Amino acid sequence: MITVEKLSRRYGDVTVVDDVSFEVRPGRTTGFVGANGAGKTTTMRMIMGVLGASSGEVRWNGEPITADVRRSFGYMPEERGLYPRMNLVDQLVYFARLHGLDARDARSRVDELLEHFDLADRGGDLLDTLSLGNQQRVQIAASLVHRPSALVLDEPFSGLDPLAVDSMVDLLQQEAADLPLLFSSHQLDLVERLCDDLVILSGGRVVAAGPVDELRDSGAVRYRVVMDGTDAAWLRDLRGVRTLDVDGDEALVELDGLKPAELTRAAFERGPVVEVARVHQPLSDIFRESVR
Amino acid sequence: MSTHSPHPDQSSGTPAPRDAWKVVARREIDVQVRSKSFRIGLLVTVIGIVATIVGVHWFQNRDTTQTVAVVEPAAAAVVKAADQLAGDDTLTIRSKDVADTAAAERAVKDGDADAALLATDDGYELVGERDVDATVRQSVTAAVRATALQDNAAAQDVDLSALDAGTVTSERLLDPAAENAGLRQATSFVFVLLFFLTALGLGMGIAGSVTQEKESRVVEILAAAVPIRQLLWGKVVGNTVLAVVQIVAYAAAGVVGLLVTDQAGALDVVGPPMLWYVLFFLVGFVALASLWSVAGSLASRTQDLQSTTMPAQMLLLVPYFLAVLGGEGIKTVVSMIPVVSSMMMPARLVEGSVPAWQVAVALGGTLLAAVLLVRVGARVFERTLLRTGDKIGYREALSLAE
Repeated sequence: MITVEKLSRRYGDVTVVDDVSFEVRPGRTTGFVGANGAGKTTTMRMIMGVLGASSGEVRWNGEPITADVRRSFGYMPEERGLYPRMNLVDQLVYFARLHGLDARDARSRVDELLEHFDLADRGGDLLDTLSLGNQQRVQIAASLVHRPSALVLDEPFSGLDPLAVDSMVDLLQQEAADLPLLFSSHQLDLVERLCDDLVILSGGRVVAAGPVDELRDSGAVRYRVVMDGTDAAWLRDLRGVRTLDVDGDEALVELDGLKPAELTRAAFERGPVVEVARVHQPLSDIFRESVR
Repeated sequence: MSTHSPHPDQSSGTPAPRDAWKVVARREIDVQVRSKSFRIGLLVTVIGIVATIVGVHWFQNRDTTQTVAVVEPAAAAVVKAADQLAGDDTLTIRSKDVADTAAAERAVKDGDADAALLATDDGYELVGERDVDATVRQSVTAAVRATALQDNAAAQDVDLSALDAGTVTSERLLDPAAENAGLRQATSFVFVLLFFLTALGLGMGIAGSVTQEKESRVVEILAAAVPIRQLLWGKVVGNTVLAVVQIVAYAAAGVVGLLVTDQAGALDVVGPPMLWYVLFFLVGFVALASLWSVAGSLASRTQDLQSTTMPAQMLLLVPYFLAVLGGEGIKTVVSMIPVVSSMMMPARLVEGSVPAWQVAVALGGTLLAAVLLVRVGARVFERTLLRTGDKIGYREALSLAE
């Protein structure tokens, strides 16, 4: 488990990351969300040790993190970093060897990864002859090549089409299901779909953090009521209900004392009902409310 | 599914990360050896060295024949005497009989003869088209004189050998080194030139590769994988191996060139300095390698290299020009200044003998400088490699390293 504790980074008078604390638990995917300039990349670089912290610390399984532990992490920097004029196999073997794998182990691990990433027939190609999507796969492969103990991925899905995202997600689940995984993104739908935990950063500060389900349920419970040909405006007069929106025979309400079963009965008494359904608050709402 | 160890160093059969510099060094070598420009450059230079030695040797030793047109048999006898007087194995002077003066002049004009020797009232006239070969002129003049003297002495009944007694001048050199002055000077020039080109070429290569890693941001992954110091060591070691291999290849090409031209004797002259040359190059290159790496890490973009590599370039350029243009006093001083001595001292060693203490000062100073530069270089490198955005000045870099 990676624990970020009161991490701050200042450049002169400007504080880019301000007292940031959160956890990345093993086997759980933690989404790191925030607007551009919120401090995501700076925080990740401090976790990886390529940037020093002004104050605060990073812990690994409760102990202050060491250089050796950091080196066991897999890292994908925000700006992609690979050798453009080096072929895939040589490049990945090089990274594996730097991480201490011996020549044979490195080679078999690289072959295995290229196989998984559907790049086995491109192994001898120079990186810059690959499509951007494939280059991104190689970049992920580079972060996995030494069988990392945790993954820190900065915007791993940016620039990928939805199908490429799906296959990348499959790969990560295959390769790193039981690792602590922190990835940053500004694609909220993606984060919502993939993440178990969420850390929302705004202006260098954590404004919300925790399991996605909990964050989602932290607000009042909402229901959508759809009548069949009956105007839904009657809900405005129902006691124990706050009506957020009415549009013809559809309405969005928040229960304010009334029980869900009572809402359903009231609807049936009113006329034919298509549905009464609980509505999860979309992450984008949580995000907007948090950074507001 | 892979297994995960919380301690990466304990995973099966992996070397400790302190060996990472070897991996970096091997990559530096691999990349260069695979690059066409490196291989072609090396091959062209090696062939060039052999070809130059063979070419110069051939040019100096080719057999030439000078033909002198003659009308009378007496002139032919003079030409024969001139051939013997010339005393040059590679030059043959022979006569060609023609009918008369006009025919002799025609032969010279048409190129059938290089010169003509015609009798005049008071001796002979040597006729050439535009000029006459200097050796031919000297030997023919001497032969004419000798022949005439002999004839006159006989006519006057004078003993020519008695007259000639005590006129022999022989030659003896006190400084045998001067004997091969041409060879020594040429070798010294080639030493300096190849040192300059090899050190500059690979040096710029080191700086460029560091900056490219910064530019492509791969450095962030590298820094997350290994201690930055090991990246520096790997680069220094890898490129030093490449540089020394190049210099040794050049030296070997020189030896091959001398052997195929049957000049093994020249090895007695240039052989020992060649070994010094390789040694000084090794030490000098290591000292400069860390400076080149730092130059690369101070730059943010390839364009910045022009200015960040200036100090390292100067350390090669200044001794290069001094070696080519400087006087003996300047060379003696510069050949003992650390780092720049590594180019100058081998050049002096091949030009003539150098006191042992001066060689020791040059080598010791450069060794010390190499250790110092690598240590300071490592500190600066660590603190500047991950900084992007602006070019960093040396002053700022040094203050960062404190």
